[in-house]
Amino acid sequence: MTEAIKKEEKILSIRDLSISFQTALGSVDAIRGVELDLYRGETLAIVGESGSGKSVTMKAVMGILSSNGVINSGSIDFTYYDNDEKIDVDILKLTKKHMRSHINGKHIAMIFQDPMTSLNPTMNIGAQIMEGMIWHKKANKKEAYQRALELLELVGITDAKKRMKNYPHQLSGGMRQRVVIAIALACNPDLLICDEPTTALDVTIQAKILELIKDIQKKMNISVIYITHDLGVVAKVADYVAVMYAGKIVEKGTVDEVFYDPRHPYTWGLLSAMPDLDTFDDVLYTIPGSPPNLSHKVEGDAFADRNIYALNIDHRLEPPMFKISDTHYAATWLLHEKAPKVEMPKALKERIERMLKEASDDGQ
Amino acid sequence: MDNKQPLLDVKDLKQFFRISNKFTVKAVNGVSFHIYPGETYGLVGESGSGKSTIGRSVIRLYDPTAGTINFDGVDISGKLSDTEVQHLRTNMQMIFQDPMASLNPRRKVLDIIAQGLDVHHLCKSKQEREEKVYQILEKVGLSREHANRYPHQFSGGQRQRIGIARALIMNPKLIIADEAISALDVSIQAQVVNLMKEIQRETNIAFLFIAHDLSMVKYISDRIGVLHLGYLLETGTKEEIFSNPVHPYTRSLLSAIPLSNPRIEKHRTSETYEYETSGIDYAKGVSNHIDGTHYVHATPEELKVWL
Ligand SMILES: Nc1ncnc2c1ncn2[C@@H]1O[C@H](COP(=O)(O)OP(=O)(O)OP(=O)(O)O)[C@@H](O)[C@H]1O
Ligand SMILES: Nc1ncnc2c1ncn2[C@@H]1O[C@H](COP(=O)(O)OP(=O)(O)OP(=O)(O)O)[C@@H](O)[C@H]1O
Ligand code: SF4
Ligand SMILES: [Mg+2]
Ligand SMILES: [Mg+2]
Repeated sequence: MTEAIKKEEKILSIRDLSISFQTALGSVDAIRGVELDLYRGETLAIVGESGSGKSVTMKAVMGILSSNGVINSGSIDFTYYDNDEKIDVDILKLTKKHMRSHINGKHIAMIFQDPMTSLNPTMNIGAQIMEGMIWHKKANKKEAYQRALELLELVGITDAKKRMKNYPHQLSGGMRQRVVIAIALACNPDLLICDEPTTALDVTIQAKILELIKDIQKKMNISVIYITHDLGVVAKVADYVAVMYAGKIVEKGTVDEVFYDPRHPYTWGLLSAMPDLDTFDDVLYTIPGSPPNLSHKVEGDAFADRNIYALNIDHRLEPPMFKISDTHYAATWLLHEKAPKVEMPKALKERIERMLKEASDDGQ
Repeated sequence: MDNKQPLLDVKDLKQFFRISNKFTVKAVNGVSFHIYPGETYGLVGESGSGKSTIGRSVIRLYDPTAGTINFDGVDISGKLSDTEVQHLRTNMQMIFQDPMASLNPRRKVLDIIAQGLDVHHLCKSKQEREEKVYQILEKVGLSREHANRYPHQFSGGQRQRIGIARALIMNPKLIIADEAISALDVSIQAQVVNLMKEIQRETNIAFLFIAHDLSMVKYISDRIGVLHLGYLLETGTKEEIFSNPVHPYTRSLLSAIPLSNPRIEKHRTSETYEYETSGIDYAKGVSNHIDGTHYVHATPEELKVWL
């Protein structure tokens, strides 16, 4: 009963988020009206071209924007529990100091791409896992030690007692990344953000770590956001997918909706560009052109110049989010009732049909 | 393919690093492979398996501990004469993982790309030098206007093209690409890979393509080598490796590639492989011919179990 209620509970709600950076060459509108929701226990993947604003959006959620960043508008509502007491906050209204001492590391934890940069080379890993618990939870040393042992075992590190005394350089890359995950989980966060957590790892370790995060997520009912450009990773872990382009979310939906029924031409391009293990095509599809320069104001749809399906209106007016289902939305004028009917590229359509057939042959 | 001469022929290469009196890292431990002109050989394997070390030994950033490296008809594994160095430095080039780190931020693109020409005094006039750079820029999909810009004024994909241009301008016979596209996003990876293939068709250049993204490796390579702990465990055409993987390590590597089909991927778990507990001893294995160009490193007993 309580399980069901908790599952439906929204823990993160971003509305109308706009962020600019002041640079020597003027102001860059990096984030232009992002809206996003996340429910307890669920996994969201954010995908999109390099520079589209994925990391900046998540840094705003952590309250760690760089100093030349300016929030122009918006809210980031976050719901968490402190000793069973439910607390709602707008992260944008909190001070950095408050974020540091009450939210970060405790209720929101983040795993960065390179595990080495987030570990302290001069401190053994046991002390690093215990540090957060002692600081945030006011746990005593003995409790913290016990919990650190449990966590190391949970993330699949054998011989945990001995490993507690190791320094980061004495561990392999995959083990280090697992230690970073153990640190992130030490304070029972409500939300875990993983920014390209596995790009530095090879596929075998990557698979183990993703399965591990999934497992722990189920046990502790935490919500997870992944930022990644590996669509195979998205397929493996995500419940929901948000596609970002030029500082906006241009399509979002369940992983099934976005992979099997994509509606935005940018999503079509992204899905078409991934290499397909089943074919021996000679040329990989690429999206023509390059992303817009966000130091100029964007007129109309930011993707229009690269979009062979662009309508006249795309160059003049920014499209709103059109609703396709209760969970599926896309910002393209192609979804307007008066728009001409445009289908996704034939090759992509065939590929999706093939994927669906494979899945049904597989009994899914 | 049988009667062709390999462009690069590596035999029983060993590359050890002595860390202390008691401890030596055997980064590459008896690896043999060859690459034909116009061919792409993909090298895959987990982090620390020795991929980059092989690339660096082949281009002679290291002195090989043992084994021979034959390149373009010349044995380059021993001490090199000046002409042999010149031959190697012009005919073999390397592209690195991080384009930003390998391009000097204070030099213009023109000078970065012309660097190899300058070092080996390959141009007679300033005009010839510029003309060569402009031609190569066009070949990699940039324009001559880009020549006077600095690296930070380019996107990640464009920077990687500059790295390719710098390698190509020497008109090499072999390019070693070490994780050259790993840091780029999918659409830009595709651009760079298409470009490499197109140039290969035009110039018959060969690539040693080092990567850990197996779907890209499968896409770009003709043949693939699977490396683990300094041993080449399995090699063959991409069809041989992908449709008939024999070694348990290869099988676990392939099973770990996440498929971009959510309904299947959600229910799949990867095969695990742990060398320490597997009972397999790489040091006792030898290379066994399976068929075609397909070879597996194993003892006779191991092979019996796997086939
Ligand atoms: N401190 C800053 N000053 C100026 N511009 C910035 C700053 N931080 C980010 N940007 C710009 O904001 C945009 C979004 O950057 P962000 O790091 O969020 O991209 P991303 O989607 O995470 O890309 P990637 O996939 O390459 O990590 C980019 O154009 C970037 O250049
Ligand atoms: N100069 C060196 N001195 C000592 N040890 C080294 C040196 N270069 C490499 N090694 C060791 O040799 C082994 C192989 O390293 P290498 O860089 O070739 O791996 P790799 O397969 O390229 O891995 P990655 O995918 O992480 O790049 C590692 O154990 C590494 O620590
Ligand atoms: S544990 Fe300490 S720092 Fe964290 S929320 Fe409670 S009082 Fe604040
Ligand atoms: Mg980022
Ligand atoms: Mg390497």
